[in-house]
Amino acid sequence: MSAATTAPPTVSATSAITERPQGRRRPQRPSFWRHRTLYLMALPGIAYFLVFKYAPMGGLVIAFQDYLPFLGIGGSPWVGFDHFVRFFTEDTFLLLLRNTITISLLLLVFAFPVPIILALLLNEVRTRAFKRSVQTVIYLPHFMSWVIVVSIFYVLLSTDGGAVNNIIVEAGGSPVPFLTDPDWLRPMYVFQEIWKGAGWGTIVYLAAMTAVDVQLYEAAELDGAGRMRQTWHITLPAIRPTIIVMFILAIGDFLELGFEHMFLVMNSLNRQVGDIFDTYVYTAGIQNGQLSYAAAVGFFKGLVGLVLVIMANRLAKRFGEEGVY
Amino acid sequence: MRKFGRLTVGAASAAVVALTLTACGGGSGGGDDAASDGPITWMSLLHTPTTPDADGPIQTALEEYTGTEFEMRWVPAASVEEKLNAALASGSLADIVNMYPIDSTTVRQALTSGQFWDVEEYLDDFPNLSQIDPQTLESARIDGELYGVPLQKIKARYGVVVRQDWLDNLGLEVPHTIEDLAAVAHAFTHDDPDGNGKNDTTGFIDREESFRVGFRSLTGYFGAGSQFEVTDDGQVVPAFTTDAFKEAMEWYRGVYEDGAVNQEFVTLQKSNQQDAIAQGKGGIVVTGLFEAKNYMALAQNANPETPMEWALVNDITYGDVPRRILTDTTGGMGGWLAFPKSEVKDEAELKNVLGFVDKLIDEEAYGLMTNGIEGTHYELDGDGVVTVTDQAAWEQQVQPYAASRPSEKVVTYNSSTPYVNEANEKMVENEDYVVTNPAQSLTSETFNRQWSTIEQQVNDAYNQYITGQIEMADYEAVIESLRGQGLDQIIEEYTAAYAAANG
Repeated sequence: MSAATTAPPTVSATSAITERPQGRRRPQRPSFWRHRTLYLMALPGIAYFLVFKYAPMGGLVIAFQDYLPFLGIGGSPWVGFDHFVRFFTEDTFLLLLRNTITISLLLLVFAFPVPIILALLLNEVRTRAFKRSVQTVIYLPHFMSWVIVVSIFYVLLSTDGGAVNNIIVEAGGSPVPFLTDPDWLRPMYVFQEIWKGAGWGTIVYLAAMTAVDVQLYEAAELDGAGRMRQTWHITLPAIRPTIIVMFILAIGDFLELGFEHMFLVMNSLNRQVGDIFDTYVYTAGIQNGQLSYAAAVGFFKGLVGLVLVIMANRLAKRFGEEGVY
Repeated sequence: MRKFGRLTVGAASAAVVALTLTACGGGSGGGDDAASDGPITWMSLLHTPTTPDADGPIQTALEEYTGTEFEMRWVPAASVEEKLNAALASGSLADIVNMYPIDSTTVRQALTSGQFWDVEEYLDDFPNLSQIDPQTLESARIDGELYGVPLQKIKARYGVVVRQDWLDNLGLEVPHTIEDLAAVAHAFTHDDPDGNGKNDTTGFIDREESFRVGFRSLTGYFGAGSQFEVTDDGQVVPAFTTDAFKEAMEWYRGVYEDGAVNQEFVTLQKSNQQDAIAQGKGGIVVTGLFEAKNYMALAQNANPETPMEWALVNDITYGDVPRRILTDTTGGMGGWLAFPKSEVKDEAELKNVLGFVDKLIDEEAYGLMTNGIEGTHYELDGDGVVTVTDQAAWEQQVQPYAASRPSEKVVTYNSSTPYVNEANEKMVENEDYVVTNPAQSLTSETFNRQWSTIEQQVNDAYNQYITGQIEMADYEAVIESLRGQGLDQIIEEYTAAYAAANG
């Protein structure tokens, strides 16, 4: 299956590196046996992907059935592409597509650059202790679950005694219905994503920055380059491959916003801008029990994600970058 | 050489897949066998924040009394629909399954799929099960078949509870009409009923489920039906399409705009609602009359000196609409105790399980699941008054079982807890004015498939209307657009089924 074709490249790539120097000496032994310990080490990882990622994909066939739990996959009637046709012709499809794309774009534009900027700023901090403590403080929110994050914001933003609205009222304004006004949902969503994820995101970029040769900075300084110029001409180009890899990964998640966050901030009053594919799969499949239909929606979402990753990767390669595979 | 390596890994991974698959198959098979031999398993609803210990005093006493070992699998009431859907989808059920809510499409589809025992013919063999109220049985049938034992409840427990101490502070009378209720709500909002000099109270404290719970009960006073109603020309239509329902919406929006409903009720969860009531943020709740004692307990927990007092009102009327109350227990039943054929394998086993359920309706078992153990949880005085002595232990060990009682009306205990006796009396009074859902025992294919979606959209439109995002014309437009998405078909199918059943 696809399992067999996707799993090996990583393994053979590693073996290819170690293979060469020894390979010349004893070419007659099969490489698999010689690198058996490496394969053994890879085994848990491979097994994990097969069991938890590939095997469950078999369940996708219910998207082409009228799946009834009691009849099982074997006994449920096949309906071909009926569920897909229903999905694409329903009014909700355009609504979901619009909401999902809008929020994804907002995230790409506003949330994606934040960790890069933060990392650049942190990179310029010379006091080690200060840098360390800031780093720790900003990545702590990553370890909070969405339930906690949304609850904190709920307490802060409620109009019935929320701190933020209390301040607004004290200052003479009228309370802002952050939680129920459809216009506030997207800004609030993006802000929460940044608050929770930005600090964690900086780690990757900071790691990439440590790899930059210090001599480059010294040379630039001799040539009279200031802080800004050094950042622009040395740091940024050095982390460009990392940025591009992260960008491709972000593109792959374009329709995959994650169910939990949106589900928690959504209510009757902002549903028309908040309902996305992930929440729709939940309401249609789990709440209303239309398992096949929800599977079809999820299938579509996954396919779009795959296509987007491939496209982004091609594009990156065309511009002479490494890409993710 | 590299090619060789790739092949081997391919073969190895195929082997791993095969291994995992067989392992899974073996695992679930083993589980099934174990279930039929061991204790009776019971998937039931949990309305409390914590589960009781499996070897706690109530379970031990119940096992002793019924002579049957059993094992509870708790499902939090708030997420019952998705948990039940997941359990049905994966086939991981128990011997006894609380099927709830009764209007859930999945529940009804599962029941009628032929995978649950039809219990009708067995009921007469058991002393308690043969005594179930015929009206409740009728509500529990689906197209004439009885796929489970109905959990019996009082038919209408709702009313309006109002802060008596606030009424007294403001010199107001207990409201008995919709007009008075609005006036009280206005006064509670603007006249500082708690006398703290701050503008920090509202009238109604409503919550997220307003459309399905609190407000729904109010529409009954305006003359709307319970979910569905039969029009003069014999059509079965959803209550939310009727003029009475819309009139109630207009009234409630007026109250909301006056500030007399908590402004963000659409985001408020049940537990937060209770906190808000206990903290005295509002003075009117449309809820089960039995809740007054819970609000009292909560408030006393926070402040033993709380001035809180409640008036329990069960006779609100509006204009010339005669006194009525919508059933909040779907005609006296709170779901089915259903027995899946995959777990309860044969008749003998079914009779065994039914016998267990029957014994739970005996007075002694009922007492255990209601009050707990005498001396530990409660005391009984000479007049038969039950006093809960250890509230914390009762909440932890007894209360969780109360919602699993196959019948809630075996005995009415006298209680020394304030508002309990009053609530019980007023709920019994309600029984004479109950309005039930005429479509409940009828079947409509379209209803099963589309109702949750339709109801959700109307629910959203209702919330948007009350909070002023849209106008009545927009609400009506939403309903019109739903007519094409199955609403008309549901009306048609129910009307035909109703005509067939009532000749």
